[in-house]
Amino acid sequence: MRVGIDVGGTHTDAVLLEGKEVLASVKHLTSANVRDGVFGALDAVLQQAQAPHSSIDAVMIGTTQFTNAVIERRELAPTAVIRAGLPSGELIPPMIDWPEDIANAIGRHAYMIAGGKTYDGFPIGKFDQAELDLVLDDIAAKGISLIAVSSVFSPSDPSEEQFLAERIRERIPGVKMTLSHAIGGMGLLERENAAILNTALLPLADKVISAFASALEVRGIQCPFFISQNDGTLMSADFAAEFPALTFASGPTNSLRGASLLTQLEDAVVVDIGGTTSDIGVLQGGFPRQSNVAISVGGVRTNFRMPDIQAIGLGGGSIVARDELCIGPQSVGYRLVDEGRVFGGQTLTSTDVAVANGSAAIGDVTKVAGLEPELVEQATLEMHRIVNVGIDQMRSSAEPVPVILVGGGAVRISRSLDTASDVLRPEHSGVANAIGAANAQIGRETELIVNYREKPRAEVLDELKDSLAQELLAAGAAEETIRIADVEETAISYMANEASKLRGKLVGDLEFSSNAPPTDAEPQECLP
Amino acid sequence: MSIRIGPDDVADLCRGSVFLATGGGGDPYISQVLVTEALKKYGPVDLFSLEDLPEDALVVAVGEVGAPSISLEQLPGGDECLAVIDRFEEFTGRQVTHLVSFEVGGANSVIPLIAAAARGLPLIDGDGMARALPEAQMMPFAIEGVKPSPAVAVDYSGGCVYFDVKDTRLYERQIRSFAMAMGGMVFTAEHPMTAPEARRAIVPNTISFALRLGQLLREKRGNAHALEAPLRELFLDSDFGEFRHLYTGKVIDIQRKTVGGFDVGEAVLASTIDERPPMILSIKNEFLLAKVGEQVVASVPDLITMVDHETTAPINAERVHYGQRVSVFGIGCPPHYRTEKALAVVEPRAFGFDLDFVPIENLPQGV
Repeated sequence: MRVGIDVGGTHTDAVLLEGKEVLASVKHLTSANVRDGVFGALDAVLQQAQAPHSSIDAVMIGTTQFTNAVIERRELAPTAVIRAGLPSGELIPPMIDWPEDIANAIGRHAYMIAGGKTYDGFPIGKFDQAELDLVLDDIAAKGISLIAVSSVFSPSDPSEEQFLAERIRERIPGVKMTLSHAIGGMGLLERENAAILNTALLPLADKVISAFASALEVRGIQCPFFISQNDGTLMSADFAAEFPALTFASGPTNSLRGASLLTQLEDAVVVDIGGTTSDIGVLQGGFPRQSNVAISVGGVRTNFRMPDIQAIGLGGGSIVARDELCIGPQSVGYRLVDEGRVFGGQTLTSTDVAVANGSAAIGDVTKVAGLEPELVEQATLEMHRIVNVGIDQMRSSAEPVPVILVGGGAVRISRSLDTASDVLRPEHSGVANAIGAANAQIGRETELIVNYREKPRAEVLDELKDSLAQELLAAGAAEETIRIADVEETAISYMANEASKLRGKLVGDLEFSSNAPPTDAEPQECLP
Repeated sequence: MSIRIGPDDVADLCRGSVFLATGGGGDPYISQVLVTEALKKYGPVDLFSLEDLPEDALVVAVGEVGAPSISLEQLPGGDECLAVIDRFEEFTGRQVTHLVSFEVGGANSVIPLIAAAARGLPLIDGDGMARALPEAQMMPFAIEGVKPSPAVAVDYSGGCVYFDVKDTRLYERQIRSFAMAMGGMVFTAEHPMTAPEARRAIVPNTISFALRLGQLLREKRGNAHALEAPLRELFLDSDFGEFRHLYTGKVIDIQRKTVGGFDVGEAVLASTIDERPPMILSIKNEFLLAKVGEQVVASVPDLITMVDHETTAPINAERVHYGQRVSVFGIGCPPHYRTEKALAVVEPRAFGFDLDFVPIENLPQGV
């Protein structure tokens, strides 16, 4: 059995899964001490299923802590960044257009040295040991032991970043680093930004991952645990401690993946209807369709592969304006329980309409009994219209698509939708994030600039697949389950020599050893 | 009074440029960052009015040539476009007196600001395209008989090549192969012009216009419907022709492929405001032809710009996707493109469309 835990800002949700079946699910308040929230949710879900702690094969955790640290500019450690690429980029140093507050939180310890490669592998600047020594002396003098390393075209040729990392380790013992090629694809500034954010989060990652580990240890759970990452796959706890930034946006991703697991659909549009807005995303082959524009995290431009999500202004608290019938985007938000009609308030909301039309049973139905049936009908149609437009903007063609409704507000859409071939409202959709976290797939991806004139396309693809498959095997995937999730080729415009950008991603199912060492530990009492 | 461009104006100038890029021109982000830093370092630039150009002027066009997507990784150093002026003067033995941008649509609207600021050279308020177009022989520079060379190109390493070629197409081939050999992007000083040539070949006032356009788009936030009137008013006060709202609808189909380094495709829109037949937009890096049903409503060299309907943010042709709610505007091109010799190279036939050019003001609104 697997436990999925979603540590959110307000709630920590947990689910217990056997294969694809949900055995139990709970919602628990997130505590200031994250470990206690995890204890609470874990104990409660096992208690609900009457399952002993020893029956767990794996624990998967989704967490927003690292995203929140960046957004709130807290627990970010002073970090230096060294970029190899001069003379290119001289006037565009690292962290150039970062918001002041987050740059100050991390410090502007930016250095540039000669180095880098062109798109076809020719050296740009010549490495100079003396130049690097000066930089490292300065970093050491500042007492900084966290360093992000970037070099031009490192996704195509990581050797220079690896070489620098060795030299840095020799000079600064105990240094912790992020090499940019390990965390992003093409786009130097964006990849470098991602490496800097990741490096600044390393101390927090140590703290959080060891808190999770100790929570499991205290409960005598000896199985492996995993952290969910932004593309919908899992990373081992050790990997997550090195790459905390890969958890950014894992929340919406887990919600989409959860919807897929609950419905067994691999291709669908998912509408997550919350309090103020609804998030619409697209499942392709069981994974979220990813956005192809630069994504800013806390005001910093990055190129993380984030799910392509469209937020529309319809939620449970959306205000219904009577004149010219209009719903949202204004919302009473969390004050719904005071201001909504069915809760005794004065504001007509989408929740009140859903109660009046009989699709939801919340609050006091008599408070909306006096609404004109015509108004209720028109408002109901308007909500369906808004969702239809949102779905239509997200689907990739005019073909009707299966639509999965999740989230607390899903009851608002009680009828069929023109854009939908089928509307599904799965059970347990309130804990879709935790269910998504409890998937059992790991993935690896890479991005290169390739030239098919130099090497045939088939050969390039085979090499790419082999190297990614090896990484997956090493990370614990079962060999027979490894498959290609995505191959994307983009020709580079104004380049007539068949240069293309190639991005490949492989996924595989985690192999849980069914003969895991039995544990003697008895389930312990819940902490108060 | 001349217009001064400082670091805080670069974002507006880029925004306006993307609008005039008619779907092409690439992402100006890196150039925006680079130029902002350069203007902080070297000070602001005053735009120089073409009318005031002295008779003994030597005007040179500066900018970058190559694959924009490469420079997102191998960033420009920033000093290449200073070096390129130095080397030009060295090779030709002549002194450059004024600079000009060769393309207001996209990154090259701002790149010359670096050279102008650092060298203290006046930058002419105008450019060689007044929009974006895919090939150099389509520019008014070439149309008006200005030769591309003597030209100088500088790569990231400071390496330099001198071009002596009078045919614009040959120059284009040479400069692109040099760019490809040297990391994908080089900086050039080219199309040297005497004062009379410059007055003929440069489309005036386009840089200050792009700046005003960018300011308007930033200040008057609103949907395309609300911005139509202010935009029309702005274009009335310019060298561009009639400004028309052509269509508002949703993208129902998009097909594209890459042919010889060009992004070629077709987008189909369905109206969301009336019962008109679908709009078909033909793309070759830029939006070139707009039809409503069978009726042409705008065609190259007139400008066709697509914006997000809700925000009026211009949409790059590479970013068009199913489901987008968009508005399409058509804008009459400056008179430079309306001459017989200009139309010979920029009319729809030059792009493979079997139809004559009809100016936008003579076309039906497509109803």
